[in-house]
Amino acid sequence: MAEAAPLWWALALPPVLAVAAAATALAAAPAGHGVAPLRELARRRRRTVAADAPLATLGAVLLPLAAVSGAVVLPLGFRSVSDLAVGVVWFNAMAALAWPAVWLAGWGPNSALSLIGGYRFLAQGLAYEVPHMLALTTAALGAGSLRVGAVVEAQRGLWFVTWMPVAFAVHLLSAAAMAFWGPFDRPVGRDVAGGAAGELGGADRLSFLGGRWLLLVVAAGMAVPLFLGGGHGPLLPAWCWTLVKTAAVLAALLWLRRRLPAVRMDRFAAVAWTVVTPLAVAQALVVAVVVLGR
Amino acid sequence: MGVRAALRRRAVARPAVLLAAVPGGTPSRLAVERAVRAAGWPLVEGPAAADLLVVAGRPAPGAAGWWDELYDRLPGPRARVSVAEPEHAARALSAGRDLLRAAGGAAARPARPSGRHGGPGPGGPVVAGPVVAGPVSDHLPLAERGDDRDGLRLDVLRLPLGPVLLDWPAGLVLRLALQGDVVVSATMDPPSPAPAAGGPPFWDEPWLRAARGEPVARAAAARRLCAAHLDSVGRLLGVAGWAALAGSAHRLRDGLLTGADPAAVRRGARSLVRRGERSLTARWMLRGLGRLPTALARRAGVTGPALAAGGDAYDRFRCWLAEIERSAGLLTAPGLLGAGERVGPRGRLGGGRPPSAALLDVLPRLVEGSEFGAARLVVASLDPDLDELSRAAAHG
Repeated sequence: MAEAAPLWWALALPPVLAVAAAATALAAAPAGHGVAPLRELARRRRRTVAADAPLATLGAVLLPLAAVSGAVVLPLGFRSVSDLAVGVVWFNAMAALAWPAVWLAGWGPNSALSLIGGYRFLAQGLAYEVPHMLALTTAALGAGSLRVGAVVEAQRGLWFVTWMPVAFAVHLLSAAAMAFWGPFDRPVGRDVAGGAAGELGGADRLSFLGGRWLLLVVAAGMAVPLFLGGGHGPLLPAWCWTLVKTAAVLAALLWLRRRLPAVRMDRFAAVAWTVVTPLAVAQALVVAVVVLGR
Repeated sequence: MGVRAALRRRAVARPAVLLAAVPGGTPSRLAVERAVRAAGWPLVEGPAAADLLVVAGRPAPGAAGWWDELYDRLPGPRARVSVAEPEHAARALSAGRDLLRAAGGAAARPARPSGRHGGPGPGGPVVAGPVVAGPVSDHLPLAERGDDRDGLRLDVLRLPLGPVLLDWPAGLVLRLALQGDVVVSATMDPPSPAPAAGGPPFWDEPWLRAARGEPVARAAAARRLCAAHLDSVGRLLGVAGWAALAGSAHRLRDGLLTGADPAAVRRGARSLVRRGERSLTARWMLRGLGRLPTALARRAGVTGPALAAGGDAYDRFRCWLAEIERSAGLLTAPGLLGAGERVGPRGRLGGGRPPSAALLDVLPRLVEGSEFGAARLVVASLDPDLDELSRAAAHG
């Protein structure tokens, strides 16, 4: 059972995540992009003609809020800010908040290309969300609980990644897809001149793109308690293992981005539904049979 | 206030650049891209992310106000410079940074260009038309309806694309009618005439000079050919969202144009070509886009790689890669180019029409019916060079 964390953890969570996201962004950026957040703070907000500015701002603010709320159930070592009884569902619900966030940011500026970006994310959601839910379900099934602490506890001996490799791979793909990042970056792609983020300037832009990095870190971080044994590991303290494993997952994602061109949903959606989803179902089935037989 | 000023100073140390290339300004565009990369500044995809607008090339007279409109979309603090001659690129960029520093101090006012590097000046913009991602403004007509490909009646949005987009042929304006993000029809604006001062189209230069009887080394032509294809491949990869490999292609191109060692180029080209050829994702994403069978290509008068590939965007990509490897092998070839050798990077030169004219003829047909992202890939996989056309328009 996970221990209760002191209250100040809740206050420390956003800045800690922000530092982690900034470190990831710095590691991923080519030379020159390092000062991007500073750049945005120095800029003015911008307006487009007949824009629905409050909606765009709402979208931009919602994205980091979703990421931080999802991180509430993320354990550092064996402690999280709140180890909810339905932690896995909570994480998925918060991650799904990215859908309205990106859509609103794309719709708000009243610009065709940013609207296309918003639409692209919805199509992406339709492709990745079902396999992702199945992957989360599989981990919860293996532990017999929706509590993230219990999932970590169930991996005391054997990490879930060893007997649910498909679910783990699906979760990694979904982490990149939900943060519309790397090969899944078409919603904010360069081919649509920045897409959903294309007309955001100043603080809105910082909040939106920063939220995207937060979401990536949180989604990658979630792979650690769900599949990589959380804080379990020899020698090092539990919190240290969490950090090391999270960094390893992020490094794998960064490597993937360098290796692949972007994946368009008009091609990927078909594969997601005909290949990835059945594979994820089969994985869940295998785990269910093992759990029943124990 | 002190914090804000400090932030501004840090931010403008490496300004984000929006590069607007003018037809005929290819050497300037390449010089700016090279200088921006050397300085480690980011090259951004739209005005919202930009601090500094750089106009590469010599804008033709007429149609004033267009550059101002683009410039007005930068959030600010902002500045703009123009680079008419490639040699001035680095100097213009640092002048732009100085302008930005000054603009940061006077935050309330939009930065006004001044001095030698200050904006397009009396030259004005090239093409009267849309800027990046034109927002639907109040005074535009409402979207009308039309039958879509499934027989439904859906709203049709008219969206002009270009001339300023990242990895987009300089000067091309494609007017799309969109239903959702499906292109239902596409028409092209006629290319604008290039200013009289411009030389021959940069990428075709060695062959055109050889045709005039000037001595052109075979190795120099191979160098230009290899660089032209690397430029095209880099842009296609940029649109395809493979920034890492696009960056390698552009670095190789810059190396070629600044006289890099042939052996190093060959090594770099081989590694690039292998990575491109081995990528299953690239094949999966480009297969079936913009199919141009050999018969159709020949009838339209297409020559060069697009004819040789005789297929879809992926075939053209592979054809470019093969050409890169082949021409990289010719970098030390002895002898001079014969006057009869007139096949440039985009096809046969010296006929009545430049090769890019045929590419532009087939372009609308190839993008119709495709999704927006696919349409951009099709344009990038043909990569017409409007320098060739604007020269023709100026002469004819």
